[in-house]
Amino acid sequence: MARIVVITSGKGGVGKTTTSAAVATGLALEGHKTAVIDFDVGLRNLDLIMGCERRVVYDFVNVINGDANLRQALIKDKRTDNLFILPASQTRDKDALTEEGVEKVLDELSQEFDYIVCDSPAGIERGAMMAAYFADEAIVVTNPEVSSVRDSDRMLGILSSKTRKAERGEGPLPAKLLLTRYSPERVERGEMLSVDDVTEILSIDMLGVIPESQSVLNASNAGMPVILDEESDAGQAYRDAVARFLGEDRPHRFLTTQKKGLFGRLFRG
Amino acid sequence: MNAHPSPIQPIELKGRMILVSILRLHDADTHRLNEALNARMREAPELMRDMPLLVDLEHLADTSVETLTQVIETVRGRGFKLIGLQQGTAAQSVASRVGLPLIVLGGKGGEIPLRVAPSPQAEPANEPAPAAHQESTPVQALHTASLVVNQPVRSGQQVYARGGDLIVLGTVSAGAELLADGHIHVYGTLRGKALAGVRGMTGARIFCRRLDAELVSIAGHYRIAEDILDAERGDHRLVTLAGETINISEI
Repeated sequence: MARIVVITSGKGGVGKTTTSAAVATGLALEGHKTAVIDFDVGLRNLDLIMGCERRVVYDFVNVINGDANLRQALIKDKRTDNLFILPASQTRDKDALTEEGVEKVLDELSQEFDYIVCDSPAGIERGAMMAAYFADEAIVVTNPEVSSVRDSDRMLGILSSKTRKAERGEGPLPAKLLLTRYSPERVERGEMLSVDDVTEILSIDMLGVIPESQSVLNASNAGMPVILDEESDAGQAYRDAVARFLGEDRPHRFLTTQKKGLFGRLFRG
Repeated sequence: MNAHPSPIQPIELKGRMILVSILRLHDADTHRLNEALNARMREAPELMRDMPLLVDLEHLADTSVETLTQVIETVRGRGFKLIGLQQGTAAQSVASRVGLPLIVLGGKGGEIPLRVAPSPQAEPANEPAPAAHQESTPVQALHTASLVVNQPVRSGQQVYARGGDLIVLGTVSAGAELLADGHIHVYGTLRGKALAGVRGMTGARIFCRRLDAELVSIAGHYRIAEDILDAERGDHRLVTLAGETINISEI
């Protein structure tokens, strides 16, 4: 049986899809057979971030409707072994995601995979509810700013009451926080909420802090999950987060401003 | 001749929040209805007597206007103070027959799982609160039950301690709402709304380890965030009602 992980946030544009791609890739790199599903039916971004948009034939909704089977729709990642992508449909809307249909697809994937990563759309409407409903655990992606934190809080409330696990009386869905686009410089200048502020407001465990980094944008544009960029701080931070997700105890990095020496200033600007 | 307007206004319009229980009817059989109402009455006579009620007819959509009129009279006969009807296709014509206003509640009123509680018991509305559980419900004892919530109350969630106090051990987020007929205790930070004494207990108080609330209210009198001074926010706060004034002080 696979573990189903939903990557969610409430607010849009905080890095759910980037995180889904990174976490799924990270789990596959660790040798776990992983499928990542794009629940953002109608918009479809995951395949772009994963760099497989030109190989999409069938999609999630096709499988739900029985137009194609999973084997036809799953795209095998070219860079990473053990990694498969189930893209979203761009021509349909989120009403196509029926509870029975989603459950059927997840059940079938569970037979074969170790992890199923569900990339949730923004909002708290049908697409987001379906992405979270069958999950075993959640990673809530938040930016260090007030509205994003507020939306994540709302989402955490929903996860604790509106998922299958909660409805079966098995308690709230275990959820961990991933803070993205973190800039220690801006925190120091008082322009951004700090890690402590966010953990205090949300009272939830921190899975990782991903620093604001140009490498994230570069990786997205190149269609490559940023976790594969081993040089970048964001890529390393995602590796740490995946290791923590798998139970390893790693210290948090990139939380403080880097003091640049003279050479650093001269050569790195 | 009265050239100058009197300094005393003859009327005054004030906004006050009240909490209303909704009685949803699932059965139009007056006999069964009477039995069920009697059973409820026996469980909590203090709570039910003169309870203001809104009757929800949504689930009796197929019932005739005549029967519905009878049903309403049955409920009335049990001593409830009916203040209006809600929903149901026939509600409009029934409303005029029984002399009650038709009240339309905003939002998805139909989904709020607000039952008339069998005994003083918490009623989480909208989204159920995280694993809220009752610490004690001694039916024979005079002590009213308190509702203890062990987890954070998050944005969009609402917890109501009917007939008693509400004790929250975690943080109450902005956008969350606490309601209690009695006192409210928050042992985390209170960032959301807290309404104590919602059924008119003016002696109700709000205690919190740290106050940074969006709204505090006691017995319908309230202060919104804008009216709470920075100096009044902080650690170990107590909110009380004196006359019509909400006071916030340090414990």
